[in-house]
Amino acid sequence: MVLALEFPPINEILRWRDLFPTFNKVALIAVAASLISIVIFLLAARKDGLKAPQGVRNLAETIVEFIEEQIIMPTMGRHGMGWTPFLLSLFLFIYLCNLPGIIPILYMPATARIAIPMFLALLVWVIFIGVGFKHQGPAYIKNSLFPPGVPGPLYILVAPIEFISTFLVRPFSLTVRLFANLLAGHILLVTFSLLTEELVQGDSLVLKPVGILPFFMLMFITAFEVLVGFLQAYIFTILAAVYIGGAAHPEH
Amino acid sequence: MLTAVVTRGLAVEVRFVTVEEEGEEHGSEKMSYEESKDFCEFPYETEEEYEAEASAAHPCLEGPSPLAVEVKELAWGAGAFVVLALLMRFWLFPAVKKGMDARYALIRDGHEAADTARGAARAEVAEYESALATVKAEANERVDAARQTLESERAARLAEVNAAIAAKREAAAAEAAASRQAAEADVASAATEVAARTIELATGKAPDAAAVRSAVEASMNAGVSS
Repeated sequence: MVLALEFPPINEILRWRDLFPTFNKVALIAVAASLISIVIFLLAARKDGLKAPQGVRNLAETIVEFIEEQIIMPTMGRHGMGWTPFLLSLFLFIYLCNLPGIIPILYMPATARIAIPMFLALLVWVIFIGVGFKHQGPAYIKNSLFPPGVPGPLYILVAPIEFISTFLVRPFSLTVRLFANLLAGHILLVTFSLLTEELVQGDSLVLKPVGILPFFMLMFITAFEVLVGFLQAYIFTILAAVYIGGAAHPEH
Repeated sequence: MLTAVVTRGLAVEVRFVTVEEEGEEHGSEKMSYEESKDFCEFPYETEEEYEAEASAAHPCLEGPSPLAVEVKELAWGAGAFVVLALLMRFWLFPAVKKGMDARYALIRDGHEAADTARGAARAEVAEYESALATVKAEANERVDAARQTLESERAARLAEVNAAIAAKREAAAAEAAASRQAAEADVASAATEVAARTIELATGKAPDAAAVRSAVEASMNAGVSS
């Protein structure tokens, strides 16, 4: 009787041998994400922009319009258009780091390790604080910690809460949201892959047909991870836009 | 009783084994130095060091938590992103956006030209409709004038024809009256002759012609009047 399936430690399912010293699979995916983005826009830029966009140019323009219309306009308005290249890079990089989680052979989202989400979150944190000081000067701190319209005595409560939520929790939440979602998805994929394999290849004739159930779950979760990969890239990018836009124009 | 354990090689594998086998599995789980070195980050530099210090468990199992930041991943990830962001900022995005803006401007110009052409066309249509209305009004005036002319000409011709008909009718009536009078005179003359002859034959003497004629005419007139 089968009592349990011991699952490999998380360290192990996320650990890959170095392709060469100081360069592992996560680094490979990050570099590939950057290169793929560059190649897409390089090929798009070489096509005649005056003609109706097709192929890779259409793809690039669709992504640009998505960033401008769905992320920048609702959060920062027209004066946020200058942030399009950064937010475009952020979205593409995160999405292409998420996507290998469902690509056969790779099967590893680079964002399921904490280094890249943490770097991106800290970068956004540095940028929105910098933007806040650039646009508001030292008053940025005062405006952030003491929002107008709050009764004076409540500032005793509000100021620490604002400090924690704005300056401490934001990078942490950005990091954990992306990292944990992708890690959880990766663990689910590994779980159902291993379970399917073990049930189908096992000796028990009774358990072999049961292997179809985790296989269907594997298919479902794979499809779900396509959505999660896109959604997490979108959420990270739109929150970055909200933070930057809020720091530049606190009245919004 | 069966339980399940994981065995580890160059790839993650699982299989079900008995509890008794589990101890043996763990006992023989230690991988060779070469396998372990290829599999993950490895803290041992020589095989002797590995054999002496590594436990039976695979050294990779003792790896850092997934929450721990790997410097190489951070460095490569950051480098890759910074390169992408800089290229996107100074080269790739402006190149794509320039084409988009040029096309949008072209489309906008096309729209404006189309709007201008549409306005001109509408003005021309209005002008045409105005001219058409003028021509129609003029045509109506001419038709009305022609109709009046025709009507007056028709009335004049009708009057002429009616006059001619009346004249011909009067002439015919006069002619008929003359013929009738002539016929009546002839009849009266014949009747007078017949009456005079009849009287002459009856009386043996010729009657007064004037009296007979007067009697015949009186008789004929009495017959007409009655």
